Amino acid sequence: MKAEGCLRRKGLQSLLLVGVAWPWLNGRFAHAQGMSSGRRISFEDMVQPIVKGAKLVQRDIKIEAPILADNGSLVPVQVQVQSPMSEQDHVTHIYLLSQRNPVTQMAMFQLGPWNGRADVTTRVRLAGTQDLVALARLSNGEFRYNQMEIIVTESACVDAS
Amino acid sequence: MNANPKTTHQKQDKVGMDRRHFLKVSGTTSAGLSLGFFLPERAQAADTPQLNVWVEIEPNDTIVIRYARAEMGQGSLTSAPMIIAEELDADWKKVRVEYATAHENLRTKRAYGDMASVGSFTIRRSQEYLRKAGATAREMLVATAAQKWNVPVSECKAALSKVTHTATKRSLTYGQLAADAAKREAPKTVQLKDPKTWTLIGKSIPRVDIPDIVVGKRQYGIDTQLPGMLHAAVAACPVFNGKVKSMDASKVENRRGIVKVLNMGEFVAVVADNWWRAKEALREVSVDWDVGEHGTLTSAAIMAHFKAGMEQSELAVARNDGNTTDALSKSAKVLEAEYFTPYLAHATMEPMVCTAWLQGDKLDVWSSTQNPEATLAVSAATAGVPQTNVKVHPMQLGGGLGRKSPQDFTRQSVMIAKAMAGKPVKMLWTREEEIQHGLYRPASLMRFKAGMNANGKVEALHIRVSAPSIFATLLKLPLNKGVDGQAVASFSDHPYDIPNTLVDYAQRNTNVPVGFWRSVGHSQNPFGRECFIDELAMAAGKDPVAFRLDMLPNTETSKRDRSILEAVTKAAGWGNQLPKGVFRGVAETEGYGSWTACVCEVSVNAKNEVKIHRVVIGIDPGYAVNPDNIVAQFQGSVVHGLTAIFWGENTIKEGRVEQSNFHDYRMMRLNEMPKVEVVIAPTGGFWGGVGEPAQAPLAPALVNAISAAMGKRIRSLPLKNHGLTLKA
Repeated sequence: MKAEGCLRRKGLQSLLLVGVAWPWLNGRFAHAQGMSSGRRISFEDMVQPIVKGAKLVQRDIKIEAPILADNGSLVPVQVQVQSPMSEQDHVTHIYLLSQRNPVTQMAMFQLGPWNGRADVTTRVRLAGTQDLVALARLSNGEFRYNQMEIIVTESACVDAS
Repeated sequence: MNANPKTTHQKQDKVGMDRRHFLKVSGTTSAGLSLGFFLPERAQAADTPQLNVWVEIEPNDTIVIRYARAEMGQGSLTSAPMIIAEELDADWKKVRVEYATAHENLRTKRAYGDMASVGSFTIRRSQEYLRKAGATAREMLVATAAQKWNVPVSECKAALSKVTHTATKRSLTYGQLAADAAKREAPKTVQLKDPKTWTLIGKSIPRVDIPDIVVGKRQYGIDTQLPGMLHAAVAACPVFNGKVKSMDASKVENRRGIVKVLNMGEFVAVVADNWWRAKEALREVSVDWDVGEHGTLTSAAIMAHFKAGMEQSELAVARNDGNTTDALSKSAKVLEAEYFTPYLAHATMEPMVCTAWLQGDKLDVWSSTQNPEATLAVSAATAGVPQTNVKVHPMQLGGGLGRKSPQDFTRQSVMIAKAMAGKPVKMLWTREEEIQHGLYRPASLMRFKAGMNANGKVEALHIRVSAPSIFATLLKLPLNKGVDGQAVASFSDHPYDIPNTLVDYAQRNTNVPVGFWRSVGHSQNPFGRECFIDELAMAAGKDPVAFRLDMLPNTETSKRDRSILEAVTKAAGWGNQLPKGVFRGVAETEGYGSWTACVCEVSVNAKNEVKIHRVVIGIDPGYAVNPDNIVAQFQGSVVHGLTAIFWGENTIKEGRVEQSNFHDYRMMRLNEMPKVEVVIAPTGGFWGGVGEPAQAPLAPALVNAISAAMGKRIRSLPLKNHGLTLKA
């Protein structure tokens, strides 16, 4: 029991690491492809590549993140999904989506009944003020989501006239 | 003065800033206008009607207008409220300006919008919602009066804080109307005034903070005093990004007044009952620094790193018109030159300062910050308290210059406050700390290559920049196609009609942290661009002004380049005979939404002493909100700019900045200041920035004049490295 618990924790840790690593890997890939940030995409464009027309409802998800971020390089985000996490009814994936980053899908977490609860914490990088969407895929194929605007204060004497 | 479009170009001559006259004017102001300041925490009288978050009108007709950005000497604390007062038809004499706060902005879901004073944004980014706020409040007041008199709104007029029914000449003051007006629903759409009818915008209004500054009443961040307050002096590793390996404070720990010596990992702090004791003790704390791998970095190595960038095979392309390589190979004449600008520390008059007080899970911060919202975010994250528990108290800044928008110092201050929880602690940097731990204007190496046809027309221009990226390193933002927009500013958007233009960029970061130094890319790139344009004009045997005018196409934006260049050269009498030994230089630039030009007249004697006879510098900001403030901004920019041009340079040895204080990081002196003539030539129809654009044309115009005088082209700054000194 004890050993298993420890393993679980390790498993969770590695999952979290994946969450952190993803934006970086994708970012480099995106750069090589000459993608650019700055343009805000629509909610549909953010979620539909994953949801693909399945049922999508805004409920059961809580996003914990600072409303203001001094800069976007390191923003802590916690996502909690209300779910019994039973064999029959659980969250299979949590996606963190960016409205404005070069790569929309900042992180993906794979979950199952073995997690006990659907609660993930990570840090993301945000290319400016934008809506962040937390999307959860349920075991029945439906989706839940919530969104939050995070303001990345512009501490920059930039000439964007 | 009128800032309407099509006004004649106006020349303002404030030679030498007659101090006595200045004091006299300010004194009158302070007596005549009851413009005061209260901390926003003042108990809000429950019966003071608030028409919207920006406007509050007291029964005695006092109008409180809120200002949401920072004031660091740029004057927007006056100009932004002027914009509201204009649309409100307020009597400016009865206006009092108060700060909005970051915590109030957070509570009201950003009712005040962005609060940062950066990028010469304050006016141009907020004018629209400020005008609407004023107009909304005015319409509510007029509608209230019309209802009271039972007359149509169209028969009522607002002016000077009063609504008048024209036919019957009845009138009510805003103070009499405000309580009822505040109960009305705000109109969804409002009619903004035609700029031709402005009565306040375009007038030179004395800055509202000056009387208090003059009598020493104004509170700067450095002035913060709290009961039981402790003082902290800090030292970070002299090599950037180094850490504390070990620390021995035994020599000072038991000294009088020393409260605590803190090892914060990245820096060491001494907390004492007064700052001098803290600072003196800090010198005797023995610290073993882990300098990491950068302890051998030198300026020469950085230059080699930049030079290698010039030759690297893969470069980010910022602009690519036509086929530059091909056109260059076919040109009748090809010119090539390399320009260099150094790292620069900000040297704000008031060094980094922040006071923080953590009481339980509540945190109060008094900071000289250009971005109160960022201060709030960093403070909350550092202290580990909810953002809603943080109050950032607005303080005037003793200069910002771009250094006080990043929040490294706020973080340090809150770390100390957390270690000293329960006690307020004021952290103040020494000048040495400020100069040696800056977020420097990046050094930049620029290479220009141009091809001309037989008639002297420029057919191709290739500009390559090898420099660090502020965006990638400080803000850690993804770069669009690998280009840092500031590294290539004024190159990628040069206005000249050159059919083949290639601008490419080698991102060459070093361990020296870079940041936003007033005007940023425009503080250095126009120096290269406009000097090289002069080199081309000379090679073509053409007058530098005529050469530029010939190259400006007939586009909507280029007509502004043209008009400001014409306005400034006319004011400077370009083409008129100069006394023997006096030479002129010119430059024209655009940036921060404004267009600028400059003409300098200099002579250089046999001892390489430069005498600046005249600086004529002008701007087209679209609308000039407070012209006298623009004059002040431009005079200030010339002081700041000349300091950088003649002496400004931070060099690196053993991984650290060699300069430490004003003895080796020299500032301009009063007697060295030349005559500055400011040309304000607003053409209307747009809102441009004012705080930064003046730096852009100054360096090239001055260096073009000096190069003409010496008969020798100068291609790097500062001028002291060319043996040149400034003659008072």
